Amino acid sequence: MDKYKVRNNVRKLRFHNNELTQEQLAEKVGVTRQTIIAIEGEKYAPSLELAFKIALVFGVPLQDVFSYELEGDEK
Amino acid sequence: MSYQEKNITVSLVSHLLIGVYYLSQLFQMQQAGGLVAAKVFSLWAIVIVAAIIVNIIGSILTNILLSIVHAIKTRSDQEERFIEDERDQLIGLKGSKVSYIAFSIGVLIAMLTFAFGQPPLVMFSLLILSSILAEIIGDISQLYLYRKGF
Repeated sequence: MDKYKVRNNVRKLRFHNNELTQEQLAEKVGVTRQTIIAIEGEKYAPSLELAFKIALVFGVPLQDVFSYELEGDEK
Repeated sequence: MSYQEKNITVSLVSHLLIGVYYLSQLFQMQQAGGLVAAKVFSLWAIVIVAAIIVNIIGSILTNILLSIVHAIKTRSDQEERFIEDERDQLIGLKGSKVSYIAFSIGVLIAMLTFAFGQPPLVMFSLLILSSILAEIIGDISQLYLYRKGF
């Protein structure tokens, strides 16, 4: 079976939202900055609730922030 | 290094110290002519109580020290966010699982030594040693997961 991975545009969305810092985003969604770093680096796939919270902060649908793609595929 | 990592490091250091103390006491007992039941059981009690107290005091001191360092760094009385989020909880659970597996292997080895004719005191000594080692392995695995990203 092909291996899929959760990918995200958090870094890009932060940049387009007045260059929101990782710390500010972490505070808004109630996690630590280290967790935001791990999500951005695609080392940690957040829970569905946290994913929705992040999408809510940016005011975009969930699929604009996170996607489920084949591992190895370029974004 | 995050707040959780610092807390785990303190826990790791305290477990290492307790482990070194335990092994040195056992070694001294062996040098003095072998394991004595009364001494082994009092050592058990000391190690268990020490592990609990040192962990609690270590955790409180870490909190206080980190708050002081944060206040000095930021020059404000605003409290630092020492929160435990979903990733911390997942890493904690994985660490506990690793600890549990390590302890289970330790218990099995301790039982096997008894089954193969070693005195019961050796088995009891190995039980406590395996619990200390399991905590150390659990702490190291958590630190590894934090360093790796998850």
